[in-house]
Amino acid sequence: MRKSLFVSLFALLIAAMVLSACGTAATPTAAEAAPATAEATTAPVVAGAATATPTLAPGSVQVNAGGGTFPLPLYTQWTYAYQYVDPSVVINYQGIGSGAGKSGILDNTLDFAGSDSLLSDDQYTKGKDLQMYPTVASAVVVTYNISWAKKFATPAGAGTPTPTAPTTAPTLILDRQTLVDIYNAKVKTWNDPEIVKLNPALKDYLPAATITVVHRSDSSGTTEIFTKALTSFSTDWKAGGASAVEWPVDKAGNGIGGKGNQGVAAAVLNSKNSLGYVELSYATSNSMAIASLVNKAGKTVVANAASIASDMTDFASAFDAKLTANIVDGAGDGSWPITGYTYFILHTTSMTDCVKAAKIVEFIKWDLTDAGAAAAAKKLGYSTLPSDIQTKVLTALGTVTCNGQPVK
Amino acid sequence: MMKPTTQKNHWIKKIGQLLNHGDRPWFGLIIIMSVVVIAFMVAIGYMLWIDSGPSRVAFGLSFLQPTTDPSWDPVNSNFQAWPFIYGTLITSIIALVIALPVSLGIAIYLSELCPAWLRTPLNWLIELLAAIPSVVYGLWGIFVFLPQVVTPIGTYLFDIFGNVPGLGSFFAGPIPESGASRLAASLILAIMIIPTISAVTRDVLLAIPNSQREASLALGSTQWETIWKILLPYGASGILGAVILGLGRALGETMAVTMVIGNSIEGTISILKPGYTMASIIANEFAETVSALHTSSLIEIGFSLFVMTLLLNMLARLLVWSVTRKTPQEARA
Amino acid sequence: MTTTSYSELLKKGVERRRVSRKGTNGFMLTLTGALTVLALIPLFWIIGYVFYKGGSTLNLAFFTQLPKPVGMTGGGVLHAIEGSLIVTFLATIMAFIPGVLAAFYAARNPNTVLGIGLRFSTDVLSGVPSIVVGLFAYALIVKPQGHYSALAGGVALAILMVPTIIRTTEEMLKLVPTNLREASLALGAPEWKTSISVLLPAAMDGVITGVLLAIARAAGETAPLLFTTLGNERFDLGTIISSGVTNHQSIIQILGRIFSSPIDSLPLTLWKYAGMPYPERVQQAWGVALILLILVLATNILARVWIEIRKRKLRG
Repeated sequence: MRKSLFVSLFALLIAAMVLSACGTAATPTAAEAAPATAEATTAPVVAGAATATPTLAPGSVQVNAGGGTFPLPLYTQWTYAYQYVDPSVVINYQGIGSGAGKSGILDNTLDFAGSDSLLSDDQYTKGKDLQMYPTVASAVVVTYNISWAKKFATPAGAGTPTPTAPTTAPTLILDRQTLVDIYNAKVKTWNDPEIVKLNPALKDYLPAATITVVHRSDSSGTTEIFTKALTSFSTDWKAGGASAVEWPVDKAGNGIGGKGNQGVAAAVLNSKNSLGYVELSYATSNSMAIASLVNKAGKTVVANAASIASDMTDFASAFDAKLTANIVDGAGDGSWPITGYTYFILHTTSMTDCVKAAKIVEFIKWDLTDAGAAAAAKKLGYSTLPSDIQTKVLTALGTVTCNGQPVK
Repeated sequence: MMKPTTQKNHWIKKIGQLLNHGDRPWFGLIIIMSVVVIAFMVAIGYMLWIDSGPSRVAFGLSFLQPTTDPSWDPVNSNFQAWPFIYGTLITSIIALVIALPVSLGIAIYLSELCPAWLRTPLNWLIELLAAIPSVVYGLWGIFVFLPQVVTPIGTYLFDIFGNVPGLGSFFAGPIPESGASRLAASLILAIMIIPTISAVTRDVLLAIPNSQREASLALGSTQWETIWKILLPYGASGILGAVILGLGRALGETMAVTMVIGNSIEGTISILKPGYTMASIIANEFAETVSALHTSSLIEIGFSLFVMTLLLNMLARLLVWSVTRKTPQEARA
Repeated sequence: MTTTSYSELLKKGVERRRVSRKGTNGFMLTLTGALTVLALIPLFWIIGYVFYKGGSTLNLAFFTQLPKPVGMTGGGVLHAIEGSLIVTFLATIMAFIPGVLAAFYAARNPNTVLGIGLRFSTDVLSGVPSIVVGLFAYALIVKPQGHYSALAGGVALAILMVPTIIRTTEEMLKLVPTNLREASLALGAPEWKTSISVLLPAAMDGVITGVLLAIARAAGETAPLLFTTLGNERFDLGTIISSGVTNHQSIIQILGRIFSSPIDSLPLTLWKYAGMPYPERVQQAWGVALILLILVLATNILARVWIEIRKRKLRG
């Protein structure tokens, strides 16, 4: 009796494994779904429930996505909140790097991808019907961790004149050429004359230590934005503007690779006298020091919503027919020079699972239009799309089809 | 007296006959399973060979050759694997150099000197070292071992040898503050392969017949002299096999190494600098290659790793078998 | 005149050498003990530190909740625990059957072409770096299927487990006394019945130990899962099962969905969290490390205790 129970359980297991091996598990079609009443669940961040007809049971649709870590903090918030907006769909976004996202959407191992790195012509051809949809823009900042050579003066007591020496570490200022020189390993130590020239108040405080330069070890859209900016900053940068480059600092021996934005941030946090490039929210949420940059117009700017917006306005007409834009090194006075958009990548005509396709499009529309979603983006430091671009994207989303039928 | 064959009895007889001839399906089954296992080995080698084709054709042998100016350039599709090969080899060799005396000491202690009651617990403890998952080693490495042990050692080595001409390039450059370097990877690898080498060496020593020990002691040697001059040479090929098994494990180790080596494709030979290994580059870049040639190059690195460990394993088994003359002990690689 | 005779000189020389040889002996033997202690230091250091750092993270929420985005307090690693259980379970089933059956062949016909080939393959497979196995599973399953899955991860881990299982099972089978086998055959049992009903139970203790140890190793592997399971912080068995029930799916369909979805696992989560700059994630990484360590320790202890119990039973 026990033996036969064991055997039948076993057979069931084998059948399930064979089924999963031979094909994807089918998501329930709308016809199969039991018409359940939508449960009233409290939504902690956002308001407004999606009115999908007919409603599916919670967790019925599994969407697998992956891509850049540039927007990862935001997408994590969005996908988390969205499970309260539409409980029937579970969206799993993995921060595996823009390159992995593009590979995933190309070989169809992902349902949609997130990427700040642009698809190449080859990839458009190979993917046949891929389309990039911008979601938000943000800044790539240079964060650093310096072991100062001298202690900063303690603030004087009341009545004494203000000390001329800085009392806390002021923000490091770098300019475009110096940044290129650092990443070219031309500037190797913190007290290099180039850096001192930009930060005269820090002359005695900058240590003579070698700069440990941190970069990405994986294929990254953040790297693409950063290296495109470096290419625009100076003709000395020869390694190109792409998602994975050959880093001169590696050859010189003072480079370290970190995996994902979080890996670079962690590397800078853990290594004294290091410097690295990360997306803005990684530096702010860890209270890391962010360098100010001297932009093309010659003004020293700090990375914040205003400087990002200024840079976006500099390139207002830069969006091409593919809905992508390169917005580094803007000419405006208040523009942050290393800014970039991040995108979702979708197949526009070749999706076959229409329930899933509908859920994906709905999710993207919610990301772009919902007030709560926009608030979450702002809180983390991301800038939402200008309204004319948003209209263009929503229109483009409306043309996505599944099995010939337009996706609702 | 024979019962008349009723319908029911007839079927019982038929099933009985089938069960008695169940040997054929049984043999068929176990033969098929054996073939499946062999097929998997062949399939892995085959897939690696085929999928590395494009880069083998494009780069030929220069892919693997030592060079002072290596290039791993996804943008221009120029790939050379030497930094990774060097990283893998140097970290494994240094790990071996450190692990060998320690493992020999443990094996000698466990097989010759240890009191009987202590033997089983000690064996178990050493095995536990091997059982700790690689990522846990990596986590402990990043936050504990590197800052507290590797960075001081590295700074010390740099101070002493960094400026010596010739040798200095091997110890060049101050070690990064975080400790992420080839040295870090070597030290952690050493800890990880000690159980492998010591377990096999212990078995080799235990397999040496007591007559050898008795003869040596009878001639007046001390115990140490017996061990050093008689037992170790007797089991030398087996011990060499153990070392090679340890080397095989070190070559393939991925996670702990990736977490502490710094992931920097740099061309110097210094062990104090961050580096890269073959397994690490595959782990970091495979999911996100920018071109088919990139993927193929990574697979070619995987293929080289496969061939290296295959050859080493065969050699090791041969050596260990020649001493113990019984089924070789299970050793993790 | 102090003349020391030749024999006295000899005696002194012998005495000196004897003392120095004795000294060397004592020194070297103590050294081996010291080296043993040295090797055990990292063991206790790691275990101690992981318990110390991870202990404070383990609470009920850690085990029963899905992760929350960074910045929100709470959340746990339920997805990783479920994922590890599922993938390891799949791997065990896929490795156990071929492993034990192939071991029967190896024990029975070690010197045929197939037997030698089998032994060779076992050696090779036990030495393949786990990252290469991951590459293989990606090419074999993920790419053709078009999605990451728990099944692909299970296959990768199974390939790693099979050599261990074959080897231990084969040794155990060889240890079964031949008269047991001969008695069974003499009683008229066909060979297959002898193998399954007599030999296998007799070797079962060792086989189970071997399987347990293989499971412990597979549970801690990360590299093969990198390209096969992707990772999935939203994986929740409860939701999948309840949605499957509501949608009138059969058990097979629900199981199929579980096995074919991307999934996380404890080592993968540890790897992801360890490299993050967020302190709460690093703290959770220590918690996961603790869970893994406890798993590994428990399995090892279980295997040992099992052997001891069976030994006692056999004796009296």
